[in-house]
Amino acid sequence: MTIKILNLIILLFMPFLMLGIIKKTKAFWGGRRGASILQPVYDFIKLFKKDFVISETTSFLFKISPVISIGCAFFASLFVPLANMSAIINIPAGFVIFAYVFGFSKFFALLAAMDTGSSFEGMGASREACFTSIVEPAFFMLLASIMALSGNYTFDALKSIMHNSGIYGILICIFSVAVLFVMILTECSRVPVDDPETHLELTMIHEVMILDNCGSDLVLYTWANAIKMFLLTSLIATIIIPSSLNFVLQIVLYLILMFLVAVIIGTVESSMARIRLSHVFEFIFIMSALALVVLSLVVAGVFGGVN
Amino acid sequence: MNYYLLGILILFLSGFISLIFKNEYRTKILSFFCVVSSIFCSIPAIKVLFEKNPITTEFYFNPLFGNVILNIDNLSAFFILLISLISLPSIIYSNGYLKPYIEKGKNISTQIVFLPLLLASMLLVVSVSNAFMFLVCWEIMSLSSFFLVVFETEKKEILKAGIKYLVFMHVSILFIIFAFVLCSLNANSYNFSDFASVLVQNKEMANIVFILAFIGFGLKAGFVPFHNWLPDAHPAAPSHVSAIMSGIMIKTGIYGILRILSLIKYPSLTISYFVLLIALVSVLYGLLYAISQRDLKKLLAYSSIENIGIIGLGIGVGMLGVAYSNNIVAVFGFMGSIFHILNHSIFKQLLFLSAGSVYIKTHTRDMELLGGLIKTMPKTSILFIVASVAICGLPPLNGFISEFLIYFGMLKGLEINNFFEMVVILFSVAGLSLVGTMAILCFSKATSIVFLGLPRSENSLKVESDNGKTIILPMLFLALASLVIGLYPQALLNILSGVMLVLTNLDTNILDFGFVSLLQNISLISFGFLTFLSVLIFIKLKLSKKVSVHNTWGCGYNKPNNHMQYSASSYINPFTSMLKPLFKNIFDIEKPKHLFPKSAHFNLQVNDIEEAYFINPLVKFDEWFLAKFETMQSGNIQSYIKYGLIFLILIIIGSLFIG
Repeated sequence: MTIKILNLIILLFMPFLMLGIIKKTKAFWGGRRGASILQPVYDFIKLFKKDFVISETTSFLFKISPVISIGCAFFASLFVPLANMSAIINIPAGFVIFAYVFGFSKFFALLAAMDTGSSFEGMGASREACFTSIVEPAFFMLLASIMALSGNYTFDALKSIMHNSGIYGILICIFSVAVLFVMILTECSRVPVDDPETHLELTMIHEVMILDNCGSDLVLYTWANAIKMFLLTSLIATIIIPSSLNFVLQIVLYLILMFLVAVIIGTVESSMARIRLSHVFEFIFIMSALALVVLSLVVAGVFGGVN
Repeated sequence: MNYYLLGILILFLSGFISLIFKNEYRTKILSFFCVVSSIFCSIPAIKVLFEKNPITTEFYFNPLFGNVILNIDNLSAFFILLISLISLPSIIYSNGYLKPYIEKGKNISTQIVFLPLLLASMLLVVSVSNAFMFLVCWEIMSLSSFFLVVFETEKKEILKAGIKYLVFMHVSILFIIFAFVLCSLNANSYNFSDFASVLVQNKEMANIVFILAFIGFGLKAGFVPFHNWLPDAHPAAPSHVSAIMSGIMIKTGIYGILRILSLIKYPSLTISYFVLLIALVSVLYGLLYAISQRDLKKLLAYSSIENIGIIGLGIGVGMLGVAYSNNIVAVFGFMGSIFHILNHSIFKQLLFLSAGSVYIKTHTRDMELLGGLIKTMPKTSILFIVASVAICGLPPLNGFISEFLIYFGMLKGLEINNFFEMVVILFSVAGLSLVGTMAILCFSKATSIVFLGLPRSENSLKVESDNGKTIILPMLFLALASLVIGLYPQALLNILSGVMLVLTNLDTNILDFGFVSLLQNISLISFGFLTFLSVLIFIKLKLSKKVSVHNTWGCGYNKPNNHMQYSASSYINPFTSMLKPLFKNIFDIEKPKHLFPKSAHFNLQVNDIEEAYFINPLVKFDEWFLAKFETMQSGNIQSYIKYGLIFLILIIIGSLFIG
């Protein structure tokens, strides 16, 4: 029970903290002191109090879409293993539900963006929809491959990669983490795919979709996106942290890993520029390529190869 | 059985009876008859599905072709329910849809006669188990749907699409005849039950028969590369006809495939992989072109190809399960595809009917001319959104159930310890997920361009109100059906599991390994998801905050207009430009010239690559080849008699040698 409550607290606050840590890291590399890592929380509170300005073109879809986004993010978190525990709803093929629940929120986010009749938001929506279509197959291929190893179709399969695949275990772990990391960069609109800080509408992807949202609507979208980042990082944690450790150590490791991933994202953002939009595909296809590597490693692991 | 025959008889007669009445009342009378007959037809079907005991009747027909056997087993009963019950919303909808045509004074008698004829022939197709009668009913079905498609004959492109459909259907029947003749030569009978004994014994022949039949039935169902008629015929037909054709009639092709499968019982690995491959190509190809369409109904037609592909994926996975004798995989694959047959017939009808509802008000199917309809046609818009969510396979609606079952079957298929199989399955999983996201792209495009934003032209600007009850209620019924199946799929389990028993030789307690509990879990999850979201949305809408309305952010520009919105082709541009080689795009651009440009235009036409590189060269070759025989056509009656004589002599000589 304590673990569940602890996980709930982590789920509520960690996404904000990760955003804060990323900003702090960027400030560090930029030679600034930067805002406190609690700044996203303050922003959240401030924005939540504000009134709305909405476009006259919009319909009810525009109003309900932010709530759907945050609702889906929380609902999806039921299916993901968090610190020291299996997913709350740990059913076979849970990753399909996980992905499709996010698909549901994405569908409505796209509609809400197009609802404004703005060319900027249309631009964002079309890019977002297109990039997702490359990300998702790689994600599915990765998870299906890992599940083929153990014959366990829940997310718990991620825990037992090392156990099931012998000599290939380490390689599979490394490449899987790489796939998930690229997925975080793409899906959560980080540099080099997208720059959440930019203010040039023409080059934005996710941020431009929510250009007309303000107040609590805007913050709900940001929150949902941060939760998504947190959940994908949790998947990385599930792969890396050995489940044999005791639970205090696991939770500490889990938090450290969250911190590390945020720092790495921040470092990536400070060290490289955003890729030119026409080359973003090539970057996302890295993910598919890595997923294919995992697939071949798994097949090699199951049907012999080097022993 | 008598009820069933009575139902079919009513359908056959109803069209002609309705003709007696005045134009205004015809559709009402027809719908009444259809409702009555659907009650009569579904009684025996439900009885069969619950008792799992086939009903058979035999009629004396003709010594040459054997007696005609009507056999309603679980598979037939399922399709009978589909045809008689699920088609009702479209038929009731036709009352509202044909009204403007009646008011304009157009003669609707072709619709009145051929609509019930189509239903009756479909019912016969799925219940007759004599190959010869099957072909006769199949042909009636194709012809009656042809007359329904060419309703607006005065339009040239509609007639062209209809004739294309007719040609394709005759190529289809040719392949089916090949398959049946091959069987009947070996079985010395025209009855399916006799085919079965031959096909089970002779594996080699079973493969050939299956592939021939698959091509024949696949032409009807719309598997790629046999799909070419669909994207032309569906937009040409009136909306309720396209709903019935896409939702139900193309499923008779699937019925044919499943029927042959039930005769073969133990499909070989070759044909299992063949089906899986074709299905995988179909889903991706169908969706790729669905995305790039600007004609709303053409988009839906291509998406039918995709969904037929998903059904095919389920069948392929199920066949692999049987071939590798892994029952669990077989159950999940087949159940997924059977669920998807039902689900697709529900949400695809809903989509076509909403497209029709838009067409009635705006008189156009071109998405680039639509927009902003959510304000003037809220009911149609919401129903279209519901159907889009369902067709994308998103929870909590019914599409998710079938896709989840197929995913699960594929994952279970990973347990089969075979190198090739594992790789194929892993790629299929990736393929199916790609389809899921592409469907989101496709239907977010359709919904947002047609219903959201500002009106893009006069057509959508002048719309004042939504359609009336006869249009909305049937659609509402379909939307509710979609929701109920999504939330409570286990209710259908008892009915649908019977269908699977016909397909495989598994025993009755195959569902004991947690299938039921899995479905219950999914149902609970969907229910929880829906409740959770509804509560959140309710809170959000109740939570009143000060809202000030302003125009859309235009980067400082304060007078945004409808031409500044994203259009359908710009919305998909990132995606289509990524996959440029797969499209045959024809650009028609006139760039603005000089200092004071007068005119400029841009037109993009996306052509089907299969049509451009396969069908068109084939037709060209055909024309070239047949032109060689032009000299034979002298117009001289004596020479035609000469040809006839020569032909007769050849037949006599041939029969002497062969006989």
